[in-house]
Amino acid sequence: MYEIIGIWVGAFFTLAIYSFLYKENPVYRLAEHLVVGISLGYTMAITYDVVLKPRLIEPLLAGGSWILLIPALLGLLYITRFISSIAWLSRYPIAFVLGTGMGVGFPLTMKSNVLRQLEAAMIPFYQEGMPWHMVLGNVVLVLGTLAALIYFFFSKPHKGFFFGTGSRIGIWIIMLGFGATFGFTVMGRISLLIGRIQYLLGDWLHLIE
Amino acid sequence: MKRTVPLMIVMVGGILMMVQYFIPHQYSQAVFDSYVSWAPIIAAFALILGVGSLTRVHAHKIRRKAENWQYSWAVLIPLYAMPVLAHIWPVSLSGGMDEPSIFHFLFMHIQVPIQATMFSMLAFYIASAAFRAFRAKSALATVLLLAAVIVMLGQVPIGDLIAKWFPQIGLWILRYPNLAAKRAIMLGVGFGILATNLKIIFGVERNWLGGAGK
Amino acid sequence: MNIWERMLNIDRRWIFLSIGVVSIIPFLTKIGLPVSTTEEVEDIFTYIDSLGKENAIFISFDFDPGTQAENMPMGVAVMRHAFHNHVPVFLTAYTPLGHGMAGGALDYVTRPSTPGYYTSVDFDEWADIRNAGITDRDELEAAWEEAGNVLPDDSHGWVFEGRDFVYLGYAPLFHLVILGMTSSIETQYPSDAHDNPLSEMPILREHKSLREVDLAVTTSGSSACTAWVIYGREKIGLPVAFGVTAVSATDYYPYIQSGQIIGQMGGLRGAAEYEVLLQQNGITETTDKAFTGMDVQSADHLLIIFFIIMGNIAYFMGGFHRKKQLKGGR
Repeated sequence: MYEIIGIWVGAFFTLAIYSFLYKENPVYRLAEHLVVGISLGYTMAITYDVVLKPRLIEPLLAGGSWILLIPALLGLLYITRFISSIAWLSRYPIAFVLGTGMGVGFPLTMKSNVLRQLEAAMIPFYQEGMPWHMVLGNVVLVLGTLAALIYFFFSKPHKGFFFGTGSRIGIWIIMLGFGATFGFTVMGRISLLIGRIQYLLGDWLHLIE
Repeated sequence: MKRTVPLMIVMVGGILMMVQYFIPHQYSQAVFDSYVSWAPIIAAFALILGVGSLTRVHAHKIRRKAENWQYSWAVLIPLYAMPVLAHIWPVSLSGGMDEPSIFHFLFMHIQVPIQATMFSMLAFYIASAAFRAFRAKSALATVLLLAAVIVMLGQVPIGDLIAKWFPQIGLWILRYPNLAAKRAIMLGVGFGILATNLKIIFGVERNWLGGAGK
Repeated sequence: MNIWERMLNIDRRWIFLSIGVVSIIPFLTKIGLPVSTTEEVEDIFTYIDSLGKENAIFISFDFDPGTQAENMPMGVAVMRHAFHNHVPVFLTAYTPLGHGMAGGALDYVTRPSTPGYYTSVDFDEWADIRNAGITDRDELEAAWEEAGNVLPDDSHGWVFEGRDFVYLGYAPLFHLVILGMTSSIETQYPSDAHDNPLSEMPILREHKSLREVDLAVTTSGSSACTAWVIYGREKIGLPVAFGVTAVSATDYYPYIQSGQIIGQMGGLRGAAEYEVLLQQNGITETTDKAFTGMDVQSADHLLIIFFIIMGNIAYFMGGFHRKKQLKGGR
C-alpha cells in the first residue's frame, strides 16, 4: 500500500512538472517550491544523523573528547553571519576550511590534472603492429593537445607558424571535442527523459515491464 | 582581527597541509588525522547559512505578502518538518520498503520524482534548440555539427544498423581529437586552480573575505 | 512570412509533443536492438569479474536524484556483479541526496519484487553466527542455511550486511573523507547508515583502509567523481572506475588514456553495456532498465538529427544566413 500510494504521488508530481511544458501553472509552482524545502530539510536531517550525532554529540556526551569543542565553536561562528556587528567572525571557519582545503588539494591536483596529463600526452606515434587509425589517432592526440593549448594561450598574438597555424589547428580540434560533447549531451538529456517515461509507463501504469 | 587573522588562518592552514603531503612523518600524519576529523564538523555547521538565508527570504515574502507568497509555505514547512519527521518517527534514515516513514516517503516519492523530472525536461529544450539554433553557419560550426551527429548515431544501436563505421568513427573522435581537446582544457583549468590556490593561500586574492564588515 | 520562416517559427510545443510521442512508442513496440560493448566498459567488467570474496570494492553514489536515470542503473549493475561474486561492497555517497540514492539502489537490488533480487540479511539477524566466530563467507552461508533459513526460489542469493556489504552513506567534505579512509575507514565512519557499529563488521576487519580495497566505482552526475582520482588514485594508487552521466563522459577520456581510471561507463549507454555483459556472462538472466531504454534512445537521436537537418534546410533555403533575423517564436 505504501509503495502504491508513493508511486501515485510520484506520478502526480512528475506530471505536475511536465505541465510546465505547456504553460506555467500553480501546480508546477507548488512542486518547484516543495523540492527546495524537502531537499534542504533532508540534507539537514542526514547531516545531523551522520555527522553531528556520531562525530560530535555522542563523543562529547560520552566524555573525554572535549577537544571537539574547538571545531564545534568554530562551526558555530558561521551563525554570526546573520548578526551584522559581528559578521566578520564567520570568516574564521571559512578561512579554516578554505585554506586547509586548498593546501590539501594542491599537490594532488597538480599530480593528477597536470603532471599525469603531461606525461600521458607524450606517447610514441607508432609502435610495432599498430593499425593505421591508431597511428593517426596518436598523431592527432599529441599534436592536437599541443595545438589546443596554443589556442588557449592568450599571452602571445596568434600569428606566425607556431602560434598562428597552431591555434588554427587547435580550434578545429576543440570543435571536434565540443561536437562530441554536444552529441553526448543530447544522449544524456534523452536518457533522463527515458527514466521518467519508464517510471510513468512501468512503475505507475504497468504498461511496460 | 577582522581581516588579518582569517588571512593568517588561510596561509598557515594551507602551507601546513601542503607540507604535510611532502613530509609523511607520524607527527604530520597526526595533525592531518585531527584535521580530517574536525573539518566535517565545521563544514556541517555551514548548512546553517543555507537554511538561515532560505528562511529569511521566504519569511520576508510571507510577511510582506509578496507575489506568490503562499508558495513560500511549501518551502518552509518541509524544510523544518523533514528533520523533525526523521527523528520523531524513529526509523532508519536510509529507508527501505520494510521500514516506511513519512521522511522516507517525502524523499523517495516527492523529492526524487520532482528533481528527476526537472532534469528530464532538458530533453525537450535540447530538441527545440537543435531545430532552432544548431546551424552549419561556418566551416567550424559544420565540423562541430558533423562530429555531434556521428557521435549521436555511434552511441545508439540504430547507428550500428545504419552503418558499422558510425560507432567506429564515433569512438575514434572520442578517443583522440576529443581527448586532445579535453586534455588541453584540463591542463588549462588545472593550472588555473593551482594559481588561484596559491593566490588565496598567500593572501593575494581576498575576495572570499566578502563584505562581512571591514 | 514564407514557408521557411513559418517552419522556423513553429510553436515549440509541437517539438515537445513529438519528442514525447517518439519516447513512448519504442517502449510499447519492444524491438530490443542489440547493444555492442566497448573497451571502456569491458575493462571495468573484467576487472570486477576477477575479484572474489577476499577482495573489496567501493560503489559510491555521487549523484543526486536529477541524474538517477543514468547513474542508478550503473550502480545497480555493479552491485549485482559484486554480490554475485561475493565481492564485499562498501556503499558511500558524496552528497546528502546521494545517501538516499545509495539506499534506494540497495533497496532495489534486495527487494523481492525486483527480478533477480538478492535476499538481504540484516547485521543483527546473523549475530549468533558471528558470535560463534563464523565470519568466512562460505561458512557463514552454510551456517545460516543450517539454522533453517531457506533461500526463496526466485532469489539470486544471500547477501549478509557487514560481510557482503556495508552501507556507509554520506559524509561531508567527501574528498577529505576519501583521504581519511586511506588511513582508516572506521575513523571516517564510526557507524553505518543503519547505526550498526563498524568495529564488529567482518568486512571492516578485513579491509581497514582504502589501501586494502581493490576498486572504487564512482557513479557520478557531476565532477565529484574526480575526487576519487585526485584523492584516492593519486594518494595511494587506488584503482578507480567511472560511471558518469553522458554530459560529462567526454571530459574524462584523458583519465582513461593516462591509466588513472580503469574504465568508464558513459551515460545510459554505458550502463546498458554493463547490463549486456552481466547477461552474456550468466550473472543476470535479463538485462534491466538501461538496456530497455536504448531503443528509445535510438528513436530520439534520429528525431533530433531530423530536427537539425530540417532546421538547417529551412535556415539556408529561407536565406536567413545572409539577411534578416527571425522573428521570435514561442
